[in-house]
Amino acid sequence: MRLSPLTKRRINRFFKIKRSVLSLAVLGVLYILSLGSELIANDKPILVFYKNTPYLFNAYIFHSDKTFGGQYDTEAQYRGLNKTAAFMQGSGNYMVFPLVPYSAYSSSLDELRGNPPTAPDAIHILGTDDRGRDVFARLLYGFRTSLTFALVLLVLEIVIGCVIGALQGYLGGAFDLVMQRLIEILSALPFLYIVILIGNVLGQSFGMLILIMAIFNWIGLSYYIRSEFLKNKQFQFVEAARALGVRGAKILFSEILPNALTPIVTFMPFSLISAVFTLTALDYLGFGLPAPTPSWGELIQQGMENLSSYWLSVYPFIILFLTLLLLAFVGEGLREALDPREYSRME
Amino acid sequence: MNAPLLEVRGLKKYFPVRKNMLWSRQATVRAVDDVSFAVMPSETIGLVGESGCGKTTLGRVISLLLRPTAGKITFDGRVITGLRGRALHRYRHSLQIIFQDPYSSLNPRKTVFDIVLTGIRAFGIVKTKKALMDKAEALLTLVGLSPQYLHHYPHEFSGGQRQRISIARTLAVNPRLVICDEPVSALDVSIQAQILNLLNELKQQLSLSYIFISHDLSVVKYLSDRIFVMYRGKIVEKAAAAELFARTAHPYSKALISAIPEPVINQTKKTIILKGDVTTPVGAIEGCCFRERCYMAQAVCRTTSPPDREIHPGHFSCCHFAEQVAPPAGGGKS
Repeated sequence: MRLSPLTKRRINRFFKIKRSVLSLAVLGVLYILSLGSELIANDKPILVFYKNTPYLFNAYIFHSDKTFGGQYDTEAQYRGLNKTAAFMQGSGNYMVFPLVPYSAYSSSLDELRGNPPTAPDAIHILGTDDRGRDVFARLLYGFRTSLTFALVLLVLEIVIGCVIGALQGYLGGAFDLVMQRLIEILSALPFLYIVILIGNVLGQSFGMLILIMAIFNWIGLSYYIRSEFLKNKQFQFVEAARALGVRGAKILFSEILPNALTPIVTFMPFSLISAVFTLTALDYLGFGLPAPTPSWGELIQQGMENLSSYWLSVYPFIILFLTLLLLAFVGEGLREALDPREYSRME
Repeated sequence: MNAPLLEVRGLKKYFPVRKNMLWSRQATVRAVDDVSFAVMPSETIGLVGESGCGKTTLGRVISLLLRPTAGKITFDGRVITGLRGRALHRYRHSLQIIFQDPYSSLNPRKTVFDIVLTGIRAFGIVKTKKALMDKAEALLTLVGLSPQYLHHYPHEFSGGQRQRISIARTLAVNPRLVICDEPVSALDVSIQAQILNLLNELKQQLSLSYIFISHDLSVVKYLSDRIFVMYRGKIVEKAAAAELFARTAHPYSKALISAIPEPVINQTKKTIILKGDVTTPVGAIEGCCFRERCYMAQAVCRTTSPPDREIHPGHFSCCHFAEQVAPPAGGGKS
């Protein structure tokens, strides 16, 4: 695909804004790293060398206890594995654990010094939560959950917002009027109550929460898209395309949409911010993702209950703050890069 | 005589307007009001009239962008009004339109290559990448642009070049009738001449028919075989180009012709200054549509609508006094 000179200029302008590029790079690298969270913080080893056979990536591949000389069909208990008789028999058997040998899901109560939550020490660098789970691991997994949630939500928002906004702007008339009233009704519904209600009736889950939020969140974007389409549809190139026999959907998405991308791009980082923040808030209230899912909001909520354990509230708060700050920097840079008035740049 | 390429009979296009916000009865603007004419193959029709007279609307109805309120359009012997969907789609490429504004008529986010091939892709005629490339290059060459510009964007071109791209896009689908909606009015005079010559050459080369819409009689005179003069949604005079200038048979045409600036020094020329302004044709009017501004208007003009009479062979006029049309005595200004 060839980029138009204007797009190239905008990209160049974005890359000149150091703070934003740096923020984007940090977020990107962290997110890609967090996709492999299982290899960074996990109680399952990356490599088990047992009876001259290497078993790699045990976090993703199931190996039963029997594989390593046990007697159960359930998954092997790796943390205790090196103390079993079968494992200690062979001389060349060894395991390589990830950097942080604790998972976000399992507690290591028997290894803890004292009762959970325990304060940060050399083993649990950020301490443990009230169920004895490693806070660092939970923050890491929570980062992945939050950003994945925000990204999936963003895609849904863009798809729904674009289609409805585009149709409203392009068709106009009665459709526009009716949709606009429906949107008003929808946006008047109390989001939190609906989340609680549906969460109770249908059960909390990742997909359900995204769906409910997508149903509410596309509205903001659809306004921008609608106005872009209202503006662009009267240009003669749209009529020219119609005269040349281009069909409706193609006019919408191939002729007009490329001219309406600016608000979408500017909207993206701020949508991510609001998604991350909303998810944290919902988790804090207990209406977000179902219980064992590692999440920042749930950690902060634990911090509320254990006020003396500062690490339960301070670290998630710092991570949340930094993530939102970096996202805001990216958003600010994008907005500046797409802004036709160059002098309005903040320095 | 051979069959006409396009025949328009009793064509009307009314737009509903609301006088105030709610409840009030809808009024209609009669943008095109009972227009009939025929276009022969390889003929150029000039359509003139001041702004707001409905010439652009007429062009859009003919190019199938707007649906007529009433009337019949026959293209190449087949009635095309009332066609929908696929059946209509088949005729689109035969009737093409070139727009007035070369700036808003090219999509700023597409390369010349994509713009020129819009129509070809929509009809799916040419498939392979190589064939598309060849076609695009041929089209640019046809309109006098270098094929090296294929991957440039519209904003890199001047108005005249943009209009050439626009023409190339139109010609890509092999139209038989091209409606030129003031294609040169947004251009510099020197560029205007280039584009007009290009259109003329293309007409010879590809045996096209044109309906050339303009408010500029001198431009139309240069290109057209026949000229239609439009006023308030009606064609008030139809004549061969030379005939129209030699034997003007409608006071409105007379006034228009008198307004053409002549590049002659020291020649005193009477310009007919019409009273008032074009009023928007809302609702029906009784009598002649031009009577309010006409310097020849008489009692009969207020009551009876003048019929479309053939006063010379091939010369039609909608005036009760077509035979006596002359500049107003002393009413003009030198």
